[in-house]
Amino acid sequence: MGGACVITFNNVSLIYPHSLHTVFEDLSFTIEEGEMVLVIGATGSGKSSLLRLINGLVPHHTGGILAGDISVDGISTSLTKPGGLAHLIGIVGQNPAHGFVTDTVEDELVFGMEALNFAPEIMRKRVEEILDLLSLAHLRSRSISTLSGGEQQRVAIGSALVMHPKVLVLDEPTSALDPIAAEEVLSILHRLVHDLGLTVVVSEHKLERVIGFTDRIIAISPDGKADIDIPEEILKKSLIAPPIVHLARALNLDSVGTSVREVRRMTTHLRDYTPLLSQPRQVTGETVVAIEKLNHLYGEKMALREISLDFKAGEITAVMGRNGAGKSTLFKSIVGFHKASGGQVKVLGNDPTELSGRQRLSTIGYIPQEPSDLLIHSSVAKECAASDRDNGLEDGSTFAFLQRVTPKINPDAHPRDLSEGQRLSLVLALILCGAPDVLIMDEPTRGLDYQAKSLLVDTLVSYARNLGKCVLIATHDVELVAEVADRVVFLADGDVVADGTTLDVLLSSPAFAPQVAKVMSPAPWLTVKDALRGIAQISGKDSQE
Amino acid sequence: MKRAFHPLTWWSGAIAVSIAVSSAHHSGFNLAVVGGMCLIVYRVNRNAIDQSPWSGGLWFALKIAAIIVLIRTTIGIAIGVPVPGTTLFELPILDLPEWMAGIRIGGAITQERLTFAFAEGLQIATLICIFAAATSLTSPHRLLRQMPIFIYEFGVALVIATSVLPQLVTSAERIRTAQRMRGIQRKGWAGVALPLLEESLARSLDLAAAMDSRGYGYSRNRSCYRRETMLPHDLLVIFSALALIPLSWVVLA
Amino acid sequence: MNTTNDIYRLSHQSKIVLAFTSAIALAGFIWPFFYIGNLHWIFVVAIAASAFLLVSEVGIGSIDAKSIALLGVMSAFITLLRPLGAGAAGLEPIWFALIIAARVFGPSWGFLLGITSMTTSALLTGGVGPWLAYQVFAAGWIGLLAGAFPQKIAGRLIRGLPEKVLLVCVGVLASFAFGLLMDLQFWPWVLGSNTQLSYIPGGAISENFSRFIAFHFASSMAWDIPRAILTSVLIVLTATPFLSALRRTYFKAAFLTPIEFKSAIQRRN
Repeated sequence: MGGACVITFNNVSLIYPHSLHTVFEDLSFTIEEGEMVLVIGATGSGKSSLLRLINGLVPHHTGGILAGDISVDGISTSLTKPGGLAHLIGIVGQNPAHGFVTDTVEDELVFGMEALNFAPEIMRKRVEEILDLLSLAHLRSRSISTLSGGEQQRVAIGSALVMHPKVLVLDEPTSALDPIAAEEVLSILHRLVHDLGLTVVVSEHKLERVIGFTDRIIAISPDGKADIDIPEEILKKSLIAPPIVHLARALNLDSVGTSVREVRRMTTHLRDYTPLLSQPRQVTGETVVAIEKLNHLYGEKMALREISLDFKAGEITAVMGRNGAGKSTLFKSIVGFHKASGGQVKVLGNDPTELSGRQRLSTIGYIPQEPSDLLIHSSVAKECAASDRDNGLEDGSTFAFLQRVTPKINPDAHPRDLSEGQRLSLVLALILCGAPDVLIMDEPTRGLDYQAKSLLVDTLVSYARNLGKCVLIATHDVELVAEVADRVVFLADGDVVADGTTLDVLLSSPAFAPQVAKVMSPAPWLTVKDALRGIAQISGKDSQE
Repeated sequence: MKRAFHPLTWWSGAIAVSIAVSSAHHSGFNLAVVGGMCLIVYRVNRNAIDQSPWSGGLWFALKIAAIIVLIRTTIGIAIGVPVPGTTLFELPILDLPEWMAGIRIGGAITQERLTFAFAEGLQIATLICIFAAATSLTSPHRLLRQMPIFIYEFGVALVIATSVLPQLVTSAERIRTAQRMRGIQRKGWAGVALPLLEESLARSLDLAAAMDSRGYGYSRNRSCYRRETMLPHDLLVIFSALALIPLSWVVLA
Repeated sequence: MNTTNDIYRLSHQSKIVLAFTSAIALAGFIWPFFYIGNLHWIFVVAIAASAFLLVSEVGIGSIDAKSIALLGVMSAFITLLRPLGAGAAGLEPIWFALIIAARVFGPSWGFLLGITSMTTSALLTGGVGPWLAYQVFAAGWIGLLAGAFPQKIAGRLIRGLPEKVLLVCVGVLASFAFGLLMDLQFWPWVLGSNTQLSYIPGGAISENFSRFIAFHFASSMAWDIPRAILTSVLIVLTATPFLSALRRTYFKAAFLTPIEFKSAIQRRN
């Protein structure tokens, strides 16, 4: 690369005082100026700790025992508190909404500068600069709590940039955002690196979006060691990888590509044939949810317009659409949260608004966007015991189910201390033990790493197909839809815009195609497994001919 | 940009009006003031872009004020010193024992006694409404920013509290919806308290990390981004309020 | 390294200022018995000034980000509880949360929480007025009291049922103390000058005192007893989960975790 070194880690080892194992062992690497570095690793491997080591939050703010030295632009983080590095390093945490001190965009940008005693003229200039850079000018007097997720993320980035740092550190910046907002944030980061020469360090779970921009990757393994190299090298062996990388590895290609275009060029030879049309799974169950001409008026807005849909047992349907398209209103109508303004909803022949509490528990299971909203006890074991009671099951059955899903879960752990994936598994166990006929999930894959996602996929598939239940998932995650859904319903502005098999809907629009489909187009394959099977079939056919 | 009032405008006005009210001691005047407050708050807050959590302060205070008037009147009737005049009705007399200061409850309820008690209750109620109106019209954030630097930390804590509150309200609603959708009926709002507390505490830790990273507490000195200036419409409000003081003397006389 | 459980301790200078301003506030509550003439408004101003003085003294550079963040967010949480008890002016379900939080985080922080939560809820529910400074001091004292009880007796932690009993007692005491303080503050002017229980400026102490007792007795029946009951019930219901949630945060916030820099760390896997 040839740039100056900005961040240097020298034999860094870290251990938190109350824990039994070291987070990092003898870590050494340097990051150069103007690099975009991605940090990947399984949940709990220490990505956040690594990021926080850069600006000194660990150990000054969180406590901890640190060996070795970390220096940023020559300044050692052991000798300076995070505040003293604020002009050098900006950090945006996982939950930017939690990090806002004030309520107005302009005031928020100014807070850090005031605390560091900047002169008023400088503050005024910088505020204008940042508002323009991040296209926030029209939002300057708005209240932060009224902004969308993407806008809030931009304000958080702005508050960090206002100090003119050399390094910007972001912890999972796009995990809570829908694809469009995520694209915006990533293109801002790209611009910061290429136009302003900032050094950016990010951690992410959903690698599909970020891989193309990254200069180098730091891969943290569970035993505390880290590998730092260019993406192609790391992804050759990493377990954590986006679908195109898995595809490239599965097809034994010479190298691993980081963008759809690259992998497509490497696989041209696999596309001169006539692909067989794949047969989508036939769903033959009975209708569980029948919706007829459903209308719902939300204040003055028509949230749902004359929607008619049927959902069958054994079918997994993905409900997609922009925020505000009517997905949550649809789910609320199915759950019986409110009466429909027009038309009717029937779940197994009954009106859901008339179900009693017990009946509702056993008929409809709903998992909200924030699964922890449903957790009220102080340990995993207690939650499971409560679920046993609520569902009338034998003691210990819920916990047994949970252990089958996530074997390594600690029964005495506090639910809020679990990782995102474990929490989701816990709530899934609590709800699935009642064996509801309809399972509804709202954005389940936010914040999940690939491993947790595949666990989720397995659980859902076995629930729907083996037990013959109906599953509905609202999601933006196209890869999840490709893996798990039989059918896709697309809502926009209260109307059903598309309703068909996953294959048809996802392939009909290039923007919504999963990565494998984009690479292998025009072949009708959505996932790596599909592609491998398809190619095997073709080569089998070829060898027969 | 919409012309906004300086944060101290309404407060200075409120203090001036409260002085007028305290010296006038006139029920009609008080009622006029309360009516005026309601009108001003209604007009000004109607144009606000975002519905702020503090704008409802006056309506809330009106309820409290009404209760106070009621209590004061009732107490005045029950244990007021008998005032001679036109008797409206009579309450049975109940003599309380000596150790309770030998007061007597009841007796002849005269019109004077009633109106006197009512008037005094109204006085308190008006004062409450005046300050509640000032609170409804002023953003606590902007007010706190104008506070002197030596209460900076306290100011920051209050700014955090007032900024976080609307987000906690949203979280509470979200948690309640999630629980209702799940079918957890019996707990109602009480079941929201614990997840909400947990979320609030998680928030505080994230917030503290963000504040430390941005340099809070690192330097002893702090600068000020922008001092708000008084505009003509601010002075108009203050002078009209001050004008009420001599007006009240006229009314009293 | 600190060996106490408090997350924030008032410095010696701050303690002196606290004592001084508290004395002024106390005088503000009981002056009617001892003085002739109407000092009411003078005391309102004096107490407000003391509050400012106290707050500026306590704040100067010594409250760290974690304490402030917790203060802000907990004040918002407590404020959210207040409108739920609206309707009856005396029934404010905020005391239980203040007492429980002060128990976990210590008396100094508890004092600050009393001040900030009272101010925040006044700002956001339109309760600002001449009585605010009094209420702020009262709430601060309650926070201080709640946090001041020891965590251990004879080397054993007070947890579980004994702790709940302790907190309920504090709650009851606080309810009545708050009622007493508010009555002392309200009495000279809430009843007006023309009732049998009114304050007589410059009157004999015994006369005023007995009038006040009668007044306070009546108001106690109406407000203090329901408040004490509500607070006790809320403490009993919420103490266990709230205490454990707050203690987990205290632990996670690593207030007293050692920060060490070493040259090497032994592998401990």
